[in-house]
Amino acid sequence: MMRQRSSSHAVLLVLAGLVAPLAAHAAEERKSFVSCPIVRDTATVPCWLAEYEGKTYFLTIQSDVSAPVTPPWLGHRVLVEGTVANEPNICGGIVLKPVHLSVLPELDPSCNTILPAEDRYNLTFEPPRPPGPSKGRLAFSYAPPPPPPPPAAATTKEFTVPYDFDGMVGFSHPRYLTPVLSYAKAIDAQEIEIVGYRGGARLSDGRTLLEDAGIGRRRAEQIAMLLKGAQLDGPTYKVSWHDEPPHVTGKDDYLTRRVVITVRPR
Amino acid sequence: MKHQNKRSPLAAGILIACCAAATAASSDYSDSSQRWWAPGQGTPLPAYATYDDDSGAVGVLNLAGEIATRGHPFFEPIGANGRACVTCHQPADGMGLSVRSIRERWQASGGKDPLFAPVDGMNCPNLPPEDPRSHSLLLERGLFRIALPWPPKRPDGTPIDPEFTIEVVRDPTGCNTDPQYGLNSPHPTISVYRRPRPVANTKYTTHQNFGVGPFIGKNGMPTATDPATGKPTSMNLMADARFPTLAVQAEDAAEKHLQIAGKLSPAQLAAITDFEKQVYVAQVTSASAGSLVEPGGPPALGPRNLAAGEAGVLGNNTTRYVFPLGEQWKHLPRGADDAENARNAARESIARGHDVFMFRTFWIKDSMHLNTVGLGNPAKRTCATCHGMHMTGMDTANGWMDIGTTNLPWAKEVPLNPWNEERPELPLFRITCKPGVKPHPFLGRVIYTQDPGRALISGQCNDVGTIVIQQFRGLAARAPYFSNGSAATLRELVDYYDRRYNIGYSEQEKQDLVNFLGAL
Repeated sequence: MMRQRSSSHAVLLVLAGLVAPLAAHAAEERKSFVSCPIVRDTATVPCWLAEYEGKTYFLTIQSDVSAPVTPPWLGHRVLVEGTVANEPNICGGIVLKPVHLSVLPELDPSCNTILPAEDRYNLTFEPPRPPGPSKGRLAFSYAPPPPPPPPAAATTKEFTVPYDFDGMVGFSHPRYLTPVLSYAKAIDAQEIEIVGYRGGARLSDGRTLLEDAGIGRRRAEQIAMLLKGAQLDGPTYKVSWHDEPPHVTGKDDYLTRRVVITVRPR
Repeated sequence: MKHQNKRSPLAAGILIACCAAATAASSDYSDSSQRWWAPGQGTPLPAYATYDDDSGAVGVLNLAGEIATRGHPFFEPIGANGRACVTCHQPADGMGLSVRSIRERWQASGGKDPLFAPVDGMNCPNLPPEDPRSHSLLLERGLFRIALPWPPKRPDGTPIDPEFTIEVVRDPTGCNTDPQYGLNSPHPTISVYRRPRPVANTKYTTHQNFGVGPFIGKNGMPTATDPATGKPTSMNLMADARFPTLAVQAEDAAEKHLQIAGKLSPAQLAAITDFEKQVYVAQVTSASAGSLVEPGGPPALGPRNLAAGEAGVLGNNTTRYVFPLGEQWKHLPRGADDAENARNAARESIARGHDVFMFRTFWIKDSMHLNTVGLGNPAKRTCATCHGMHMTGMDTANGWMDIGTTNLPWAKEVPLNPWNEERPELPLFRITCKPGVKPHPFLGRVIYTQDPGRALISGQCNDVGTIVIQQFRGLAARAPYFSNGSAATLRELVDYYDRRYNIGYSEQEKQDLVNFLGAL
């Protein structure tokens, strides 16, 4: 009797496993929510999860500074913006891919869950970076700054700097700012126009989260300060911002949180 | 507030007894009287010399060969107070300064040695001279007073609008509330108390290799540049990264610590920095493990290997290693006698300590500029994660972090109760992040700290209590440890990490780590 019931369960689970991905494929299922992150230890690197409406979602694993998605922080809630992926669960969580994570600035000591390792949740793949020393390379590579073009090729070029929700410049931004600096110096830029934007996020429950009023201005002014501080003081700077509430739809809202830098040649 | 000597007579007695004990212990060293390098003594510094230290001997290698110190500005008392650079960067102390040497000088000079100059060798310059209570932080923890302007200033002298306000909560030295030297003086100043860093192996501390770019890898801010070349620097020279190069540091030290009239001449500056660029320091002998520099021995150990190493490269990997020890000490054969067996056991302990350093994972939590740079909070990593620079254990990138050595609740504090006559020695500041500024990610809007560290230079809330990671070489020669001297021994240092990160080291792991660190 027990065995029969288990078998029935197993069949149902398999069917559900087949149907769910098909449904997800048919209509891309996006999730946007704010929750406490959860750490689950494994035999290798920890997994990062979050719960929403009774389901557990897999966010990412620990790797290193080069990762395109880096883990959130206990002690803070996290804004999760992702798409349900047609992949097997990882660490017991439904995979969101792509996923964008924003650590919210205010402290929340209730976000403090570390789950111990369990064999059933061990990773089924080798993580790009073990928890200890690497194998001599970064886990991921991102495009290096483009080589400076010859002066004849100097053209107006636009760079977009992304931000976490309510975020300012942080550890990952040198990878976006260094190419701006290199290009502007290479073409002996005449003008740098910086436009800061205030963004937001439409959550899956229908609510809208807006970034701090004035953050578009602060972002634009900070970028100007950073570029000047990096000795790019030859060009003239044109700094403006859009601090009105953005239009958010629940789809790719992370793109609303940005600064656009336009480098113009002489 | 007028400063008062708050130490009880009992505590003062303990201090004097402590100094006496240190002197008695130093008599074990037959060459103790030769250890101290006095300014202007004129003897040449050999191309290679060894000096006894707490766990064997440290080696000092001068790549330029024997140095004639007569007339050399590093060794001559070029300032008004009789000090030279060598006063605080002693060869016998691995080009740093141990509290053992400080106490020996106190005993030998009755407190009159230039080392104890009021400007920074005293808890505050207005205290009674030659009284050990006036110099207690130097005598007990090896700390010098570092007086920094508030608000901070940019290199061009313009003031920075800090993200936080700062209040003095506790002022046991009297300096931070002093009408002449304190925060409310005509030139508002904050006094913090720090250990001098060793002047050696500087190709590592000033490298321009991996992780050095126009923006700081920790927070995206502009990197400090070398005023002579305009190039970005590693900012790993000082505890608070306030000076980008050896030359800038030397100029400031001449003015502030040596009290030189005017400025160093270009020739003096060149002589000082040239010397600093060619001197290498590392442990060469272990009292229990014997020679650390035998031919074919571990390739990380000794100053010659250090001089030959590649600077500014990542070692937190299994291709290069932070401190490559090789395999030869992992499983040694049984020796010919008890002495050889004991030596081999000590070498195996060093090798195990290396593996604990490199491979033993633990949860690193709530550490600013570590957990915030892409690893998540907490991160399951190892010692080598932060201490990742090949051959030195520094951070290759601009390396300030907060591991809690100066910020409450983790900083060492005196237990206050009716049965304890000991009283706090270090000041305590309350930092309040201004409205509109994000709170510190792990400490919130109000932070209590003994030393705001990098934040006194940057003015940023996130930098409160962050201190630049320093090199691990010649450690046994220059106790105590951490920027505020809060770990008297390497064992206390290991115990701090064990408590801070709830690591749960076994006794064997702790001892192995101590032996490993003492061999560097």
